[in-house]
Amino acid sequence: MDSHLIHDTDLSRRALLTGLGGLAIAVALPLPVLAQNAPPAPPPLGAAAAGANARTGMVTAHLVVKPDGKVVIISPTTEMGQGTHTAHAAIIADEVGVDFADVSVETAIPADAYRWGGSMGSGGSQGVRRWNDHLRKGAAQARAVLIQAAAKSWQVDPAGITLEQGRLLHKASNRSLGIGEVAEAAAKLTPPDNPPLRDPATRRYVGKGVPRLDIPAKVRGETVYSMDFRLPGMLYACARLNPVFHGDIASFDAAPALKVKGVRKVVKIQGGVAVVADSVWAAMKGADAVTVTMAPSPQDTISSAALTQAMVEGLGAAQAIPATARGDLDSAFKSAARTVTADYGVPYICHTPMEVWSCTGLFKDGKLELWAPTQVQDRSRRTAATAIGIDAEAVTVNTLLLGGGFGRRLMDDGIPGAAQVARDLAGTPVKFFWRREDEFDRGYFRPAQMARLTASLDAKGAVTGMAIRISGPSMRAEFVPGGLKEGELDGSSVQDLSNLPYNLPNFKLDWAARHVRVTASPWRAVGATHNAFFLECFIDELAAAAGKDPVAFRRELLAGNKRALAVIDLVAAKAQWGKKLPKGHAQGVGFFASFGSLSAHVVEASVTDGQPRVHRVTTVLDCGDVVLPDGARSQMEGGVIMALSAGLYEAVTVKDGRAEQRNFDTYRLMRHSESPPVIDVHFLNSGEALGGVGEPGLPPTFPAVANALSAATGKRLRSLPLVEALAV
Amino acid sequence: MIELTINGKAHRLDADPEMPLLWAIRDLVGLTGTKYGCGVAQCGACTVHVDGVATRSCSIPLQSVAGSKVTTIEALGGSHPLQKAWEEMQVPQCGYCQSGQIMSAAALLQDTPKPTDADIDAAMDGNLCRCGTYPRIKAAIKRAAGVAS
Repeated sequence: MDSHLIHDTDLSRRALLTGLGGLAIAVALPLPVLAQNAPPAPPPLGAAAAGANARTGMVTAHLVVKPDGKVVIISPTTEMGQGTHTAHAAIIADEVGVDFADVSVETAIPADAYRWGGSMGSGGSQGVRRWNDHLRKGAAQARAVLIQAAAKSWQVDPAGITLEQGRLLHKASNRSLGIGEVAEAAAKLTPPDNPPLRDPATRRYVGKGVPRLDIPAKVRGETVYSMDFRLPGMLYACARLNPVFHGDIASFDAAPALKVKGVRKVVKIQGGVAVVADSVWAAMKGADAVTVTMAPSPQDTISSAALTQAMVEGLGAAQAIPATARGDLDSAFKSAARTVTADYGVPYICHTPMEVWSCTGLFKDGKLELWAPTQVQDRSRRTAATAIGIDAEAVTVNTLLLGGGFGRRLMDDGIPGAAQVARDLAGTPVKFFWRREDEFDRGYFRPAQMARLTASLDAKGAVTGMAIRISGPSMRAEFVPGGLKEGELDGSSVQDLSNLPYNLPNFKLDWAARHVRVTASPWRAVGATHNAFFLECFIDELAAAAGKDPVAFRRELLAGNKRALAVIDLVAAKAQWGKKLPKGHAQGVGFFASFGSLSAHVVEASVTDGQPRVHRVTTVLDCGDVVLPDGARSQMEGGVIMALSAGLYEAVTVKDGRAEQRNFDTYRLMRHSESPPVIDVHFLNSGEALGGVGEPGLPPTFPAVANALSAATGKRLRSLPLVEALAV
Repeated sequence: MIELTINGKAHRLDADPEMPLLWAIRDLVGLTGTKYGCGVAQCGACTVHVDGVATRSCSIPLQSVAGSKVTTIEALGGSHPLQKAWEEMQVPQCGYCQSGQIMSAAALLQDTPKPTDADIDAAMDGNLCRCGTYPRIKAAIKRAAGVAS
């Protein structure tokens, strides 16, 4: 357990932290809680903390130098297309002084050096901003010991030695060495605690352009994703699960499955059975053939209709769980020239990474080894151990490159089945897999949520007070079982609304918990996805009530906030806000601060025959500084498209305790022809502390497109998906 | 026994004739560049060429491609103009859908060497990308085709 990391006396938060380590704190706790907590200390940098990753030539836990001078970087993060492996390589290559062409990257096997906050994992847009300084320091230590080792071998003063492009040079005696020649000796030296850092002006890779290291294999079809990973003699196990959330089966008859050629066995696993066969196809056929009797559960009656009713009731309920209260809202409301109120709603949405879950396991001599596409290595390790009754220490987790994560692989619900099948077939490697329908059935969706926003305006149209009531199910209660006590606030439901960049001295925020046991987990940008939509659409409604332009109105609310104003001003300038547009087109703006970054978009959109069309998106991100410029650009482009897809088209509806959508024929994702032809990305390097990149671009997309379509149609759209709101 | 040609090589496969081509390519022939994404021809991750036509291999039974010539991502060899453009434009993020995207684009350029935006949309609409690489894919296709973006 990660008890050494608990820096909070609150037991429910302890449950959260033990579940996840420091990983998802930012996504699961409200800001005031974060502020009270001391940040977790960085993990050790030395090779002694590298666990199973340790090998000859390991100079620090993140750097192995081979005899030929090539370097292997051990990254603590999961690479799922967000580019953190390449960013880590750039940070380390610059600071050590090696050529990028000599660098390769591996994902660490969990060990203390890779656990920030006690647990290894990737989420919360932390991959670069959290690790940047730490990896740089480790790389400087590595440089220091490489220089020391060369100094020893030459019997000279280390101060006269430089390290550039993988070579150590003693200018005075005109001698040089490749780093591979001294790596073994350097690995035995003790690095200085505070090594000198290079001048950032000497960087060749960070902030410049480096190609992503994972791309060449991906365009050749050579990347080994989980489903592609093979071991000799491996069998395949296809899941057949109760599609009801948290459901299990009461009984099963294996006989029809065993009649399928190639099927070896049917194994009971958590939530259903796994049909083991010698090929994927035989396992699938067997899974269809096996007869299962579902166990009834209280979830069988859950429906979206009943949940909506409960959420609507929550919007007006007298009691709610307080999140933030500032100033004197009652007086502001009483003295208002005008009061505006509006209700908003969003549905459950599914992550749908293109890669469907699979995980290979081998149980041998009381130990389990897994090859998993996971964002949470330590959590997966504990879950696997619990599922088969062994020690977490007896489980090794190897991480493969992910075919998309988006938060879905923060959930470890596919791990028990993999561990149970491997345990049952001890000595034989087994690849346990789901089908696309199982991804939908298992859920762990971004939860549905509603909001009622009320604001008072004075005679000049200035906002004098605002109240926000969020109502809906809890993400945390599902994501961290037992992680939310009765009456406790789920920070994800009110995420990023407590301390808005807007001047709102009289402000109240609370949450009416209306929980149902539909599985839920963080979806890329988490609660900010709905809260940016609620707030920023409402801001447009207030601007309209005040008779003001949406950008000018936001500028008034941001008076004195230079950093935020710079973001708004840049996006307005780049989008030529207010320019003359083709007939039927309109612009919409959205601005939101999340994951330590500020982002604003202007969307230009229109509606033809009820079908929305996005013509252009102009986007600005201030994440302090950019480590991997093209990688950050691709994250912004992709984040905007993912959010447009979700905002325009996506919804999971629930009936009889299960998702009504089970594949892409009923769950609509944005396609090529629907994607905006232009996404114009701009970075504003404010020099503030590094913020996230993978997530902050999503939240403002939802209101920007809704505001554009509301302006284009003259009809205020207050619910998602927008294709449905437009059809009403 | 089902006979077919995959990437120029003749294969005789002793398999369930109902087995989708996808699983024959992956599990019997051992070429794993072609991906499973949905199993119902909705996402395009499994796109290969059957006799030169972009085809969803997850939804076509092996028996119906007997005698056909099948081409997978592996046959493009890495230096195909589309693969070069994909690298130059830094298209993939997670990369899982990209084999299918490239195979759909390769079929498009075979038939329509200088595609318009509308041609690209029509040819590529069956290929989903959850990472949102659509604008870069379009730009890469145009670059490979030598048409202005």
